[in-house]
Amino acid sequence: MDIYDVLLRDFPFLLKGLGVAIVLLAALLSIGFVLGMAICLTQLYGPKSRFVQWPLVIYERIFRGVPIIIMLFIFFYGISGVVDISAFGAAILAMGLRSGAYQSQIFRSAFQSVPAGQMMAARAMGMSKMSAIRNIIFPQAARHAIGPWTNEFSSEIKETSLAYVIGVVELTRQAHYIITSTQGNILTVFAVVALLYFILNRTGNSLLYAFERKLAVPGFEK
Amino acid sequence: MANDLILDVQDVRKAYDGLEVLKGISFSLCKGETKVLIGPSGSGKSTLLRCINYLTVPDAGRIYLNGEEVLDTNIDAIRARIGFVFQDFNLFSHLTVLDNVRICQIKVNGKRKDAATERAHQELERVGLADKAGAYPAELSGGQQQRVSIARALAMDPEVLLFDEPTSALDPELTGEVVRVMQQLATEGMTMVVVTHEMSFARQAADEIIFMENGYIVEQGSPEIMFTDSRQERTRAFLNVIAEHG
Ligand SMILES: Nc1ncnc2c1ncn2[C@@H]1O[C@H](COP(=O)(O)OP(=O)(O)OP(=O)(O)O)[C@@H](O)[C@H]1O
Ligand SMILES: [Mg+2]
Repeated sequence: MDIYDVLLRDFPFLLKGLGVAIVLLAALLSIGFVLGMAICLTQLYGPKSRFVQWPLVIYERIFRGVPIIIMLFIFFYGISGVVDISAFGAAILAMGLRSGAYQSQIFRSAFQSVPAGQMMAARAMGMSKMSAIRNIIFPQAARHAIGPWTNEFSSEIKETSLAYVIGVVELTRQAHYIITSTQGNILTVFAVVALLYFILNRTGNSLLYAFERKLAVPGFEK
Repeated sequence: MANDLILDVQDVRKAYDGLEVLKGISFSLCKGETKVLIGPSGSGKSTLLRCINYLTVPDAGRIYLNGEEVLDTNIDAIRARIGFVFQDFNLFSHLTVLDNVRICQIKVNGKRKDAATERAHQELERVGLADKAGAYPAELSGGQQQRVSIARALAMDPEVLLFDEPTSALDPELTGEVVRVMQQLATEGMTMVVVTHEMSFARQAADEIIFMENGYIVEQGSPEIMFTDSRQERTRAFLNVIAEHG
């Protein structure tokens, strides 16, 4: 059997790996989104007390300052010593928490780029702070955030392949299986894998770009 | 008539880091009155205006709107009854003109959407921008944006309108269209406090001119008196400077 037959035969495994990568991606981005938004809102509008603010800063610094591969090891081996956690669970957790640190920064600078006069005008008309954030600030911040968020999306797609090191059977590991079982053809297999990552990336980017266009309003051009 | 009293500002004081900006300001406004606040840069005009609706919280003093004291606890409800027009418009930039004039009617006053829409169109008509309902703020000139912001304030049925240098951010050829709207409001009996350097407006529309300097009210009086016969040397000096440059 030459490599193309093998690839054809094992393509479903690659697709399955791609599926795992997509689920991992969706999960870590969702966790990161919720966490990042919560952190951003707390930093900008929450209590100014350092007991609230410092832990957030420390969290953000750590998760942005330590290589993800180290975090994956720490989470997998660290947590599995205490509770039973799958490699997949550990990867979602480590990468979700890290994405939260990055997304909090994206959201924060997006919120901060909304001019202060917008909040002032909303409050001056009797809107509560919550209502002003929801109806006036958030829709504008979202438009500022979507570009940087697309970058985060793209880099996280690529980083899902690192979950490989703790044994998550995602796309890269599936490729590795094929290579070891056929002894060779590294380049061909990885070329196919690269193509799959690329397609996923472009599809996601196109969807986000379409969303950005849908939200487009004069005055918010980049 | 005491029951005509809309706004009563009593001995308001405000300091920033020890720098006293308002040193005990008192004035009042009856229904339908227009008072114009003038004074050199840094004299505290904006601070005073912002203290009235607690955008800046005063250190001391009392403010009453139609007999009700302005407090931290009722501030959102009070603000909904006070229109504020900013120097740099502050239109909500992600919303169309129509939505700008509509959103607070709905979100703050709890009006139904069709009622808010109808009112928004009326107010846009009133400021001469009926044809711009679908435009976004970035698509309008400064003068048009300021007129939308006036419509936005009017749509809330304010008991009093506060203007903080509404024409200062505009090119000279655009100030006229905004001043005309304000003059029309004054004529129609709107109750207003206007900080402005537009002396033609002050002359024609003001019931009273208040001259502030260094955190004090130096002098107040009708335009006739203030422009021709002000008792204070400083008022005359300031009006002369304005007359030369404005
Ligand atoms: N948020 C603030 N923090 C510190 N100082 C302030 C603040 N706002 C205003 N001031 C100071 O208070 C003083 C009065 O300012 P204010 O803006 O009320 O003056 P103004 O009469 O409106 O002047 P202008 O004609 O330039 O608008 C100024 O010295 C200003 O620097
Ligand atoms: Mg000012």
